[in-house]
Order: sequence, then C-alpha cells, then structure tokens
Amino acid sequence: MSSRAQQNMPTLILGGIMLAYGLIAKTGVMLPILKYLHTHKSMELQVTMGLTLGIIGIVAALINMIREPQDTILDRFVLQPIGGILLLLLLAMAVRWYLEPLVKIMSKALQPALGFKIYKVLNLNYVVLGLLIGVIVTNTYGIPRFAASGVKCARFVLKMGVIMLGARYSFAELAKLGVYSVWLIGIFVLGTVFLVLWFGNLFKQPKTMTGVLSAGMGVCGVSATVAVAPVVKARSAEMAYTIGTILSFGIICMFVFPTIGKMAGMNPVQFGAWAGTGILNSAQVAAAALAFNAVDIKTLKVAEIFNITRVLFLPIIVLVLATWFGKEAGQKLSFKTVVIDKFPIFILGFLLLFAMSSMGLFSPPSHYKGKFIDVSYNDRSQITSEEFEVLDKALKENTITGLSASQMEAVRDLHRQKQIAGNFDERNDKKLFDKVGRARMTELESILAAAKAKKIQLAADVKHVIKHAVKQVHKKSKTVSTLTDCMIWFFAFGLIGLGMQITKKAIFQAGGWPLVIGGISGIIKATLSFFVVLWLVKDVVLN
Amino acid sequence: MSKEKKAPETTHDDKDRAGIGPDADTEKLEERALSVFSSERNEDITALILCLITTFLVLASTKWHLF
Repeated sequence: MSSRAQQNMPTLILGGIMLAYGLIAKTGVMLPILKYLHTHKSMELQVTMGLTLGIIGIVAALINMIREPQDTILDRFVLQPIGGILLLLLLAMAVRWYLEPLVKIMSKALQPALGFKIYKVLNLNYVVLGLLIGVIVTNTYGIPRFAASGVKCARFVLKMGVIMLGARYSFAELAKLGVYSVWLIGIFVLGTVFLVLWFGNLFKQPKTMTGVLSAGMGVCGVSATVAVAPVVKARSAEMAYTIGTILSFGIICMFVFPTIGKMAGMNPVQFGAWAGTGILNSAQVAAAALAFNAVDIKTLKVAEIFNITRVLFLPIIVLVLATWFGKEAGQKLSFKTVVIDKFPIFILGFLLLFAMSSMGLFSPPSHYKGKFIDVSYNDRSQITSEEFEVLDKALKENTITGLSASQMEAVRDLHRQKQIAGNFDERNDKKLFDKVGRARMTELESILAAAKAKKIQLAADVKHVIKHAVKQVHKKSKTVSTLTDCMIWFFAFGLIGLGMQITKKAIFQAGGWPLVIGGISGIIKATLSFFVVLWLVKDVVLN
Repeated sequence: MSKEKKAPETTHDDKDRAGIGPDADTEKLEERALSVFSSERNEDITALILCLITTFLVLASTKWHLF
C-alpha cells in the first residue's frame, strides 16, 4: 500500500464508522437504547449526521489517497483537516448522545445512596466531559497523526459557538431589569475583572493567564474565556484552567449560597439577585436558586436574568482587556487601535446575532430565550388518554388532597378540558382566555413545587400527568432551539479539540495559582454582592 | 517564564502519533492550534460568515419554510 493510502486509512475507517452508524440508526434497531438514554428525539439528526459525515469522510479520504496534496483552499481547510474534524465530531457525538445521558442516568441511580445527583454537583455536562475526553486522549495515546491538522480547527469552531450565543439573548432581557440592576451587574462584572488583574499582578502570574481568568470570573465560564483568549493570547491550558476554576468555585457556591441566604433571611428576589451575581455558571446558578427556594419560581427567574445579563457585558470586557493587554505589552493604544484593530471580529458576530434576536428575527422579543407559553386549544397540548384515566380515577376516589381551592379547581379543569386552557365560552376574548389559562398553569406549577418541597403528598402518576400538562403548554421557538443546538455542537466540538491541546506539563506549569486567585476574587465578589443586594435590592427588581 | 523555550517532545518512533507527547510545551501546540488560518482576522471573518450562513439556513428551514 502506498504511504498516502496508509496515511488516509484512519480517515476512511472513521468515515466508514459514521456511515455504518447512520445506516444502523436509520433502520430503527437502536431505538430501545436511544429511548433508554432519552436521546431518541435526536434520531433523525443522528441518521443525517452519520450518513452525511460518513460520505464526506470517505470521499475526502479517497481523494487524498489518489491525489497528490496541493496548496489549495480545499486542501488546507477540508482535505487535510478532515480526519481530525471527523474524529472530533465522532467524539462530540459520543459525548452528546451517549456519555452525557449515561452520566445522568447513573447519577440518578446513585442518588439514593449519595443523597445528591453527582452530575449536577460536578456539573458533568458536555462542556466538562468534552474537555476531559480531549485531555485524556492527548495524555494517554496522544493526538493521532491523521487528526493533527483537524484539531487546529477547535478554536475557530469555539468562536462560532460564541457568535451563535448571541442568538439566545435579546434586549428584552435587559428591559426586564431596571437600569439600576444593570448598573449593579456591570459594576460587579468590571470590579471582578480588575480585582483578578490586580491579584495576578500581585502574585506575579502570566498576563495571558490573568487576562483570561479575569474575564471568566467577571462574566461567565466558557463563552467569556473563548471570547477573551485571542485578545490576551491565552494558551489552551490557561483557558481550560479558567473553566475549571469557575466550575470548581461554583460547586462550593451551590452549597454555601443557599445556606447563607437562609441564615440571613433573604427574600426570594434578593437571593435570586445574589446567586445570579455571585455564581458564574448558569447551571449552577439555577441549582443554587432551586436549593434556596423550590416553591417560589421568582428566585430562579431573577437569578437567571441577573446571570444572563452578565453575558451582555462581554463586548465591553473584551475592549477593556484588549486595552489592558496592549498597555501591559508596552504598546501605545489609541481609541481606533482598540476599537477597530484589536476588537475581535467574531465578537461583532455575537453582537450582530444579538441585534437580530432583539429585532425579533428568531422569536418575538418578549419570549425568554425563545420560550413561550401557549394555552390556546391545540391537540398537541392535550394529555394522553392513559393520563386522563389516571386523573379521572384520582378525582373520583378523592386521592388528591392538601391542595388549595384554586389549585384543586385547576386540576378539575385539566380533567375537564384534557389540557391547560382558558374557559371554552370565553375563547373569543383572547386576552381573558389567555389570562385564565395562564393562571391555571401557575396553579398547577405551584402544586408541583409544593410536592417537590414535600409540603403535600401527591401520587407519582398524578404528578406525572400534571407535569406533562404543564410541559405541553411550554413551547419553544424552533428557530431558537435549532440555533442553540448549533451552538452546543460548536462548543462540544471545540472543547474536545481544546482539551486535546492540554498536556500534563501545561497543567503543572500553571500550578495552583489560578485556583487561588479565582477563589479569592470569587469570595470577595460573593461577599460584596451579598451586602449590596441585602442593602439595595428590596423586593421587586423585575419590571 | 524562562526565555529558553523547550522544543516539543517528539516521538518519531511512533508514526501514528502527531509527534507531540504528553510532556510537550504548550506554546508549540498553540501555534498549531492557530495555524489553519493565516491570521486571526481571517479566522474571525470565516467564523462570522459560516455562522451567518448557518443562521440563514436555520431561518430558511424553521421560520420561512423555504425547504
């Protein structure tokens, strides 16, 4: 076999594996496994990706085998890196469709023994799992030769993830918060950035590390790290270290915040504002908010809005750090240099998608992250006939107890109409119909919250019916969901590649200082925001 | 950081690997990570264009139902 054929054999095999996977998935043989993993809804995507990527891989490998490599755009961006791209995609598929769901299932199985869900506590989602897989591959087998060129695409794809992130936010979120709250968030974001920069200087840490850590600690995890890395010329290991520091700090916060909040007697809104300001990772913010108060949904909503508003400060932080890094490197920087020459174009992409989202191109601006509630009559919003039987039996036998009169009425109406909706007679008055339907949904949600907080006893099958009915009226814009999916895939691909560039030595070179600096600044931020929130945020911050 | 940069460890004996062992200096890896594109600007512009194409395709299929 010629050396070219030998070199491209792994790519050909990878293409073959993907094609075979697509074909097997198409037959439906894997449906039971996918149902067990709760990934069966993505079966169509699994087939499409398997077949498309498989064919592309095989064709590219065959071209590479027959043809002498040349210096064309096709060679540089497709034919040479295709092996690595396929490997990263295969790993991303394994993480998204198999590993992440499996970790969730195992965590749930271990919950009775451990008392908590390990995937929630350690935040074992595709971000962490992807990074870990990349690190493991590099530090055990090493990056295979055929994949070396493709791994170079990781940072580029991560940038695409940050651009797509813009589609998830809109000005409507900012408008929900008063100017006063936006100022509060802005001051904390910038304050943390400067605090970390100061600590970095104090502990004589590399500017590249300090720069990327400051953005990560000030704004949020992955997106801020990726956005700022090219501006401060951060290494892959420094990016990974920043993400690791943020997540580790968040794990501690998830336990400490609710305890302190309860001890200090914070109200739901105050705690939401504090958690949204002090904790960085959005999943951990949600976990802390629910741990503090599972009944009052306001805590979670305030926390989420405070949390996401931070992301909107990303472009400002990029400008600040570009100026700081330039000055530290001894460059004379004019306004033009910073704003036009140094400002990363992909952040403009983030702003562009944010603007498109704010204009309502993806979903009406009033919809929160493309989610909306639809209580109109719709066959697809109905509960199933089996669920109706469960509810019917429970109501006839009077087994649903401990509910308030309005909650009970909402359950009875669900039984009557088989879905959450307004009154049939009032269907022509859209406003009133919608108002009544939403009120019923709120009542049913409060039943679920009370059951979760163990304030009432609710049979598991009845709880399931109510949960399903509530889920049915929570709709999602298909455009926003698909754009979010694209973003997740870009991040999964990029993070595995990023992990592949982190060697053991690089981790030891960074030492424990980033953790120390991140920890100290995180604690200072959490403490200050605690007092500021207690002092300034009384009750209603949402417009 | 020491001024003398350590060259990445090579593992020429193993032709299947990319030539970078677990103890290699990350600085070299960084160069590799960025070298698909000739400059940062080209990388950013390409990322932006691909994202706009993706967004258009998503809008065309989910909102405008063009295909």
